[in-house]
Amino acid sequence: MKKRCSQCILSENFPGITFDDQGVCSFCRDKSFLQTEEAAISKAVLQVDELFDKVKASERTYDAVMLYSGGKDSTYTLYQAVKKYGLKVLSFTLDNGYIPDQTFSNITKITDQLGVDNIIFRPSNNHMKSIVKASALYPIYNKRTLMRISSVCNSCISMVNLQSLRIALEKNIPVILAGFTLGQIPVNSIVYRNNYNFLEESRLKSLQLLRDHTGQWIDNYFILPEELQRNVTEWPTMVNLLCLEKISEDEIIREISKLGWTAPEDVDGCSSNCQLNTFNNYIHDQVFGYNPYELELSQIIRKGLLDRRTGIEKVETVMPDVFKKIADDLEISDDEIITASRQYKK
Amino acid sequence: MEDDLMIQERLVQFVCRNYIVDKEDIILDQSLVDQGIIDSFGLVEISGFIQSEFQIIVAETEMNRANFGSVLKLVDFVKRKKAS
Repeated sequence: MKKRCSQCILSENFPGITFDDQGVCSFCRDKSFLQTEEAAISKAVLQVDELFDKVKASERTYDAVMLYSGGKDSTYTLYQAVKKYGLKVLSFTLDNGYIPDQTFSNITKITDQLGVDNIIFRPSNNHMKSIVKASALYPIYNKRTLMRISSVCNSCISMVNLQSLRIALEKNIPVILAGFTLGQIPVNSIVYRNNYNFLEESRLKSLQLLRDHTGQWIDNYFILPEELQRNVTEWPTMVNLLCLEKISEDEIIREISKLGWTAPEDVDGCSSNCQLNTFNNYIHDQVFGYNPYELELSQIIRKGLLDRRTGIEKVETVMPDVFKKIADDLEISDDEIITASRQYKK
Repeated sequence: MEDDLMIQERLVQFVCRNYIVDKEDIILDQSLVDQGIIDSFGLVEISGFIQSEFQIIVAETEMNRANFGSVLKLVDFVKRKKAS
């Protein structure tokens, strides 16, 4: 049994953590984190209002591309974008091959109800498996990136980000929306300009590592074509809209259930849309000794939007059948996972 | 010079606190990305931080390695922006 903070769910293996005599972790003791967050949210609210007013006045076919996974958070964000902010949204879904049928049913129901156009992009099965396997078994990303996300999730999200940016540029859409919460993303990243040239440089090393373990073909999924880059006059703005809402998971589910959203049963407690998550979390725990959702859920607990016991249940849910099915599908053995866990420790 | 040190101290403090790294582990004249301290989100964060902390506006054309390539380059960039 891992030692966990007595107030949040961060465990003893989390980088840089210390505990006081009462078992309270250093992150909970640093109250300035919450103050910084509140200041960042207040600033982002103003930025979003100004941005959306400007965007809506420009009379485009679409005001925003929404990264829509079909999970609870992105469903609620899409609902907010359309109903609360009055945006004309084009939603985008990456089908990684591990999306439950119930999730696709949710996507269809919700986009139909909200009158939203949806694009589904499904990379070829061989390519996707190769990316997942390389991300799971090799040290592609730096350890600090992986404090808040598993390696495989990071690859998937990078593909989603790139493909949505591509759609935004091709269709002249000024805003990209996502349903990430604070904890999943850093506090100053609620609203930011998606300056590809600036940010891409920081990804070159990991992209090369991923390329080395897969092939040159990954550029199609992770690199913006040069002709698109050349013609950019203004990069789209990324908005993590859900960060502005003070709402609990229960309240989110209650709201989106009214639209017909139903939780899939074949996913773990940390995901409401992807079976791969349970596999990713297990590998991450084997490699680093903690669940990649600990940081995000702890932040939600500190804000009083989730109780600690539910948080622990979420990160300690084990779905051996789902894990085995995915490991078999990817042809990953237990020995390979043990080897992977040693790679980051080198 | 004093101004340089103050900017540097605040930047280093921000990096240490947000990326859980010790002050001694930061090589001031090397890229924070290359040192594995920050990723692309980190660049976004630092850009947001220097704008709010030092009351400057960073133009898109200024977001490059010449200005964001290391702590020392960031210090120099902030100093130039504050002076302009």
